[in-house]
Amino acid sequence: MSEPRGLGSAALVRLVAAREISARVRDKNFIISSIVILVLLLGTLGLQVALGSGEEQTRVGVVGDVSALGPAMEAQGQALDVDVAVVELDDEAAARTAIADGDVDGVLVDQASAAPRLLVEQSAGGPLQAVVQGAVAQLALADQLAQAGVTSLEIPEVAVTALDPEADANGQRVVVAIIGVGVLYGLLILFGQFVAQGVVEEKASRVVELLLATMKPWQLLAGKILGLGVLGLAQIVTIAAIGVGGALAFDLVDIPGELIGTALSVVLWFVLGYAFYAAIFAVAASLVSRQEDLGTVVMPTTLVLVVAFIVGIQASAEPDGALAVITSYVPGLSPLVMPVRQAAGEVALWEMGLAVVLMLVAVGVIVRLGGRVYAGALLRTSGKTKIREALRADRL
Amino acid sequence: MLEFDGLRKSFGSNQVLSGVTFAVAPGSMFGFCGANGSGKTTTMRIAMGLVRAEAGEVRWHGRPLDGEVRRRIGYMPEERGLYPKMKVAEQVAYFARLHGLDSGAAARAATEWVDRLGLGERRGDPVEKLSLGNQQRVQLAAALVSRPEMLILDEPFSGLDPVGVDALAEALLEQCRAGVPVLFSSHQLDLVERLCDSVGILARGEMVAVGTVEQLRRQEGGRLLRVVVPDAPPHWAAELPGLRVVSEQAGDTLLDLDGGADDQAVLAAALATGRVTHFAWREPTLVELFREAVAVPTAPGVAA
Repeated sequence: MSEPRGLGSAALVRLVAAREISARVRDKNFIISSIVILVLLLGTLGLQVALGSGEEQTRVGVVGDVSALGPAMEAQGQALDVDVAVVELDDEAAARTAIADGDVDGVLVDQASAAPRLLVEQSAGGPLQAVVQGAVAQLALADQLAQAGVTSLEIPEVAVTALDPEADANGQRVVVAIIGVGVLYGLLILFGQFVAQGVVEEKASRVVELLLATMKPWQLLAGKILGLGVLGLAQIVTIAAIGVGGALAFDLVDIPGELIGTALSVVLWFVLGYAFYAAIFAVAASLVSRQEDLGTVVMPTTLVLVVAFIVGIQASAEPDGALAVITSYVPGLSPLVMPVRQAAGEVALWEMGLAVVLMLVAVGVIVRLGGRVYAGALLRTSGKTKIREALRADRL
Repeated sequence: MLEFDGLRKSFGSNQVLSGVTFAVAPGSMFGFCGANGSGKTTTMRIAMGLVRAEAGEVRWHGRPLDGEVRRRIGYMPEERGLYPKMKVAEQVAYFARLHGLDSGAAARAATEWVDRLGLGERRGDPVEKLSLGNQQRVQLAAALVSRPEMLILDEPFSGLDPVGVDALAEALLEQCRAGVPVLFSSHQLDLVERLCDSVGILARGEMVAVGTVEQLRRQEGGRLLRVVVPDAPPHWAAELPGLRVVSEQAGDTLLDLDGGADDQAVLAAALATGRVTHFAWREPTLVELFREAVAVPTAPGVAA
């Protein structure tokens, strides 16, 4: 057997973190919540795919030559915002088979005659008839004009000027940001709770005294937050990967680059937001000694998170409003507001940097001050400790 | 030597320790006695760095304890604590690792101690499923698993059945024989008397008596005289000079005589009450020494 050796801070923090992870991945609550999140995510993707598949193309068969009619029908389709595919068929028998098999929605026969007919299965639903009628009429008109000696026509073309060419892309960006912030919010609450429960469990079971005989309070706190943080990060990265991968694979978005950008920014803000909230949750939880009392001490922090979430959703509608701009700098609110502002509006690099720096400063202050409260409150295993008492307690 | 030197601590206006000094030699067992609330737990927590002393320090081999040395201490807190949902063997291995064993050594040591304390069949169970007595064994395993250089155990025997007490006593004696200083607190003074090489009694914030049980007996200024006088009226000896009645029950009287008191005068007084069925000097038990030591001082305390 090897001799026991000295342990550095890093080794202790790693040991605590490893225990947190191995205890948590076997915890029913964690497993269930992970599965629920995954199912929700896949469900959302599936729903999007199902809704998106409604816009299928209209397939038109033509008996005979399609060199003139094909382009004309496709042009009509474009005008009507319908995807038209033209299929050339040999004769009317082939046309009937194609309709019966569902290969085409309708077939135009006798195209060159004075009485062209459109064969359909039951009725010429939707744009089918309009596409065919328009194309036939256009060709016939051109034909008759040519016979009348009119060869060139001056038809003015209407130019289209898009006032907001990015409207669609912006909308998608906002949706992505809202989904991202929703996931962020859920995971911050979930992992904040995990941290808080873990702290109280150690106090309630009194195991904390044995732990503090081998390490300093900050090492215990750091290990716990890092361990659960690694799990949380793994979860949000998984969610982001599945979400982005799924959206790209099923072609749900027109802005793949920005989708990835938004997903990355959500993951980064998770890291900052988690550091902030996990530290606060841990410190709050250290003030009580029973799981039953946990609700009251974490309530204010949970409320801040809820407010941040609501402001974040609001920011998607008004990304440049005063509320969104100001709150996107406020530490604690910024993780849920800034990603939405970034996605829905314009955010300069310095704004982003400022929000990150403010957040880092806040995390530093909380870890320092909160660490003292945590250290002072840990060994008071009876009832509730006041923050002031904890700050006055012996510093270990 | 594990030395406690002049520890002082107060909580608010309550002065708990006012200069606690004693030492535990390597390979010896030290019984730490004192009434409830006398400061035993605070003293041990100071040694473990869980409470900060206002003055004084704890030294091991002449050096004040720091985090690295404390890692070499096996500690059992008064309020038992384990992760309720963690499995027995994993839990013991975790504490071994916190004390510096690498993962392979920790797993082996955990298996060894879990087997040795009779928990082999329960090693895969979560601690919360175990009986309190078995949880206590896990707690002991957590204290011993890293082969500590010192043991500091707060009330290790409380809550154990007689078989458990014997098993724990055997485990502690074995540690002692291996040269480990063992400090434990207990209210079971017969056990302390049986196991310990030396004893310290804490009262009023100080060690009022420290030494082997023999030394304490000798230090005890008076001598105990047991006189059994079945026909005597109550308080028959109360007025005799130079002695104090320690206990009196249906004529079975225990008297504490000052150095100069005349035992023959006591015998005469006893005979005056009627029959005397027993008259002999008696060695005080530790319980009596303890009562004597923690009693509100009548003479200057036997400062250590």
